[in-house]
Amino acid sequence: MKSEELKNQDYKYGFTTEIENFKAPKGLSEKTIRFISEIKKEPKWMLDWRLKAFNRLKVLKEPNWQKPKYPKINYQDLYYYSAPKSMKDKPKSLDEVDPKLIETYNKLGIPLNEQKRLSGVAVDAVFDSVSVATTFKGELDKKGIIFCPISEAIQKHPDLVKKYLGSVIPLSDHYFATLNSAVFTDGSFVYIPPNTRCPMELSTYFRINASETGQFERTLIIADKGSYVSYLEGCTAPMRDENQLHAANVELVALDDAEIKYSTVQNWYPGDKDGVGGIYNFVTKRGACRGRNSKISWTQVETGSAITWKYPSCILQGDNSVGEFYSIAITNNHQKADTGTKMIHLGKNTKSKIISKGISAGQADNTYRGLVDIGAKAKNSRNYTQCDSLLMGNKCGAHTVPYIKNKNSSSTVEHEATTSKINEDQLFYCNQRGLNQEEAVSLIVNGFCKEVLQQLPMEFAVEAQKLVSISLEGSVG
Amino acid sequence: MKPLFKIDLKRIPSFNDKSAAEREKNFELFLKGGFPSKKDENWKFSDLNFIISENFKNITNNDNYKFDEKIESINDFDHNKIILINGSLRSYDLKFEERDKVKIERLKSSEGSYDQIKNNLHYLNKALSIGGYKLEVQKDYKCKKPIIIYNYFTENLDNKIINNSNEIKLNQNSELTLIDYNIGKKSKFIKNTFEKININKGSVLKNIILQKTKGNCYFYRNISGTQDYNSSYQNFILSSGLKFNKIEIDMNLEKEKSSCYILSGLNLSKEEHQEIKTQINHLAPNCKSYQKIKNVLESDSNGVYQGKIFVKDIAQKTDAYQLSKALILNDKAEFNAKPELEIYADDVKCSHGSTSGSIDAEAIHYLMTRGIELREAKKLLIKGFLNEIFDNITEEKIRTFLEKSITEQIDENR
Repeated sequence: MKSEELKNQDYKYGFTTEIENFKAPKGLSEKTIRFISEIKKEPKWMLDWRLKAFNRLKVLKEPNWQKPKYPKINYQDLYYYSAPKSMKDKPKSLDEVDPKLIETYNKLGIPLNEQKRLSGVAVDAVFDSVSVATTFKGELDKKGIIFCPISEAIQKHPDLVKKYLGSVIPLSDHYFATLNSAVFTDGSFVYIPPNTRCPMELSTYFRINASETGQFERTLIIADKGSYVSYLEGCTAPMRDENQLHAANVELVALDDAEIKYSTVQNWYPGDKDGVGGIYNFVTKRGACRGRNSKISWTQVETGSAITWKYPSCILQGDNSVGEFYSIAITNNHQKADTGTKMIHLGKNTKSKIISKGISAGQADNTYRGLVDIGAKAKNSRNYTQCDSLLMGNKCGAHTVPYIKNKNSSSTVEHEATTSKINEDQLFYCNQRGLNQEEAVSLIVNGFCKEVLQQLPMEFAVEAQKLVSISLEGSVG
Repeated sequence: MKPLFKIDLKRIPSFNDKSAAEREKNFELFLKGGFPSKKDENWKFSDLNFIISENFKNITNNDNYKFDEKIESINDFDHNKIILINGSLRSYDLKFEERDKVKIERLKSSEGSYDQIKNNLHYLNKALSIGGYKLEVQKDYKCKKPIIIYNYFTENLDNKIINNSNEIKLNQNSELTLIDYNIGKKSKFIKNTFEKININKGSVLKNIILQKTKGNCYFYRNISGTQDYNSSYQNFILSSGLKFNKIEIDMNLEKEKSSCYILSGLNLSKEEHQEIKTQINHLAPNCKSYQKIKNVLESDSNGVYQGKIFVKDIAQKTDAYQLSKALILNDKAEFNAKPELEIYADDVKCSHGSTSGSIDAEAIHYLMTRGIELREAKKLLIKGFLNEIFDNITEEKIRTFLEKSITEQIDENR
């Protein structure tokens, strides 16, 4: 039986890379933070900023209102910094990078060698706590676009980092965001100068390799006046029977007439069939449409992680700004997801659109939680929200928790949600035409997700479609 | 919290030393948490603690149940009467019903509520409850005429708090239409009511909540109930005109084929704040729930809807629907909604929709081109918007009466 075979198919990216690691001492303390800051050769202001966050962290409590509960995390039992030893002295070019690392990325289907790549995507590869390589730097430099690891940006472009870091997600925002501010290790930094259209997709590939580590990366993207950038993010991790924490912060800033498109295909290790192991994906993503006519669009395909808990949000400050959120969250076996978005309308004529598709199978729990808040000054604003859930089997759950606030007589908010199972008639129709159960479900589910999938850049869309099918394998029949 | 209360338990009419300890214990439990504030997820959009402390100090419990005014009753349709004065059962007249088929009893304390409710206002109710009525309809009896509960509030209730609790029980295959009709004077007071409803096999309960005049009152009402096989509960909430009102409905559809309808049409004006919070628990297969909440918000009013549909894993073939619509007519008005679904069964049809916005400019334009002036056109559209919820009321005379009441409300507000 095909479905039986598929059931046993393992997580494709579950291998480990045997590589010597260089780690910070275990545990969360001022010492660890100083260690990270020192190894990154950070200026004093950055260390002060981290310590301020650490002090704030001492008084904060972990939030507990979320639907998926998890065992208490022992923050003293984690490594906050882990890097391949060969990365200690930064390699000057790709030729100097440890071949083992290059091989790892080749295995993941992300060749770092520029000739081998589809042209048109620049990649920043982050392995545990450090950025391994950034491709296509030269071409981007010509346009004045900065795309580099954030640790490099702190040294080379301190003015930009100082101005924007923490301006969307403040230091004291909430527990995991503050934790990230204190101990973040690496991530990507993007600056698009005024009136520039980034000629290629920028992409970061995150990989957690070492055990007992948490990955805390920080991404900051600034689109200056009249610019455009499309940014992709992908993630995988080896199979381990422990739960690993991933607490990233992503900040986006769009100035006048700028547009940022941020796409994520999240495929962290989801744990095994019985729910052992897997990544806790507790990520804070927030974008600010600061300028007039600016636009931020989030697209996410969430198939991995034991627990996904994130709300990519838009703060629509500038008049006429636009926020969009397209999401597919698929949970199977014992996976849990609590995801959604916040659209905060502050400027006049702001628009937002939310399309969320949740699919749960096995014993999984899938929650859409979202906020649409139209302020008193956001005249003529508009929101449209659609969230659909699909249930496969009666051991899983699908939940919708929208918060809708409207303080304005000229604004319109619309929200609709449905929950259902796969239509028997549709299945029958497909079966009749020679598709087996598995193929039929995959076809129907892909159709269910189509509105979101078509928002993804081409290179990602194909991968995402495959991922949607694979994630649900073994859940029917 | 300091000068907020001046409560004397001895002023409760049914007070006796036996119950004193229990009441005191509950009052202490209440004081520990005080009135719920927006930190409590259930009260996120209605900060009762803030609202009460802004408007009240030295709250005392009421001990006045005298009433000698002439009771002005509704003449639009024949009905039975129950008369409550300041929350306490005064008299009743069931002249249209057969003898002993409908039983009414006086309750003396907070008997009419479920014990498992853990809620600060429930502690308060248990501490200070003066009781209320217990209504029971006998097996296989379908009430011939509706019962109207005239809920009178006297003049001298300033800074008073009324805590009462009622119980309604419908035995197998019975039917009842119950209309709560609130008539208040100008005084400013708080009412905290807990109600227990029990609808047995094949029974139908229709409940209409209506406010006669505008009142400077702050109401909280908690209705929790259970429904048996093939039973039906229908609730129509038309309680516009109160300064603050929160109605919380917690309905458990325990057996197959039961159905629950909650429909509301509110027209809120200056300084009014109303919240409807529902939790419909689908615990058995083949049940249906339907909620339609409509709000017209004028001036600086505040409308809130928090609805939750819970579907247990065995409750297959559930059909659940939630719709909230708001017309916001002023920039100071506000509408907040949290329509929630929590679903564990896969073969279900659950959906919700929520919209809020202004009156359709095109519809106004259409009416104006046909010679109807702006004010009239708006009124007409508001009326159309609210009247839709009466479609489920089959009794012609009652529907006409409700439509008339709503029209009066709209005229008064505009």
